[in-house]
Amino acid sequence: MNIDEIEQELGVMQLSDSFFPTGIFATSNGLEFLFTEKKIKGMIDLIEMIRINIIQQIGPSDCVALANAFDSANKQDFDKVVEADSMVFATKLIKEIRSASVRSGVQLIKCVSEFVKDDKILNQYKNNVIKNKAHGVFPVSFAVCCNALKIKKGKSMTMMLYGFTVGIVGAALRLGLIQHFEGQKIIHSIKPIISQTIKEYSNKSLFEMWQFAPQVDIFQMSHEKMDSKMFIT
Amino acid sequence: MTHIPRIGIGGPVGSGKSMLIERFVPMLAEKGYSVCIISNDVISKEDADRMRANLATNRGLLPENLVIGLATGGCPHTAIREDPSMNLSVIEEIESKHTDLDLIIIESGGDNITTTFSPLLADYSIYIIDVAGGDKYPRKGGLGIESCDLLVINKIDLAKMVGADLDVMKNDAKKIRSEKPFEFINCKTDEGVMKITEHIIHDVLLDSVPKSTITQEV
Repeated sequence: MNIDEIEQELGVMQLSDSFFPTGIFATSNGLEFLFTEKKIKGMIDLIEMIRINIIQQIGPSDCVALANAFDSANKQDFDKVVEADSMVFATKLIKEIRSASVRSGVQLIKCVSEFVKDDKILNQYKNNVIKNKAHGVFPVSFAVCCNALKIKKGKSMTMMLYGFTVGIVGAALRLGLIQHFEGQKIIHSIKPIISQTIKEYSNKSLFEMWQFAPQVDIFQMSHEKMDSKMFIT
Repeated sequence: MTHIPRIGIGGPVGSGKSMLIERFVPMLAEKGYSVCIISNDVISKEDADRMRANLATNRGLLPENLVIGLATGGCPHTAIREDPSMNLSVIEEIESKHTDLDLIIIESGGDNITTTFSPLLADYSIYIIDVAGGDKYPRKGGLGIESCDLLVINKIDLAKMVGADLDVMKNDAKKIRSEKPFEFINCKTDEGVMKITEHIIHDVLLDSVPKSTITQEV
């Protein structure tokens, strides 16, 4: 490994680390509602929930947005980055999920801008977000930041899907739905779904973006209306 | 973007964080200061709902939408210290839409004695404990008690009932906090709460006049 490659790997570790401040630890993507309503009972159900989320929502929507925003950022095509931002924002039907994605994405951009000063697209995107000319939705912010840190597209997609999985597993642990060994078994069992998703969605155009998981939407909407909750989503 | 002064209020579960806010906000309002409250809830929206009802809906001291409940994923200290992203995001929104505010109050979810606020999140922090936890609390220290800008010891009316010696707490607080201030209060009767309000006006708002007054004068 040369110095550049080592630095890229460190960038991967830094952005993948749950210590990285994006507020995602406070989200459960509707898991809290399922848990409270006793619609989810343990490891097997949780794997199924994550699988459905990745296959029906995150993969065809967020991953496609990330891949396109990444390619556009890499080609210095800022208008296309904003287009990806706008389109993936529109696919997020649930207010709570949409808002959390934007809040996390904006904080991610602001944080990375603190230590990466010389990336034109990152600066442009941040300025547009501040002026409310772009949303700053998480997958696009993540693509822009990964590109600025010279992390490769495939790795960026892996990191986002891994982060999503770990986020849900972390929420499940805090809810007492699973124990810590089960958490790691779940992450391991999701790996083939992550790799298949990356393979399938890394070269789709923005116009091939979709998401369809009506029952998940309903659970996430129900979470919005819960009186007592630990998680933002 | 306008930076509105921010005060963080932390302390253990049941120590009186929300009650303290409910008591000093009317005093600030009476002097013309406009505030917003962000309540970081560990498990429910109850605190935010109660403050909204008592301060906004019933008394009209602030708009209902300026009492905001924020879930913390079961990690109240993370939400105000290691990763304050969600709080900062909400604050940025408030600062862009409500430039006329004098103060933003951030209430932490109930937590342990090591609670501190990220300096990026709060300009000034109050840590509140109560005598029912025992008179050992100031002596035990902990980052929250030691490093906050103002230590508040609540429920002094219960001291005799729980066998807590207020003099011991006073001496220990003096020792552990050196020159930093601390106050004894009873939120149920407002005893000592005006002093907290004065600390906020002097130490956080730097004795500035309420923004609404300036607007009116112009």
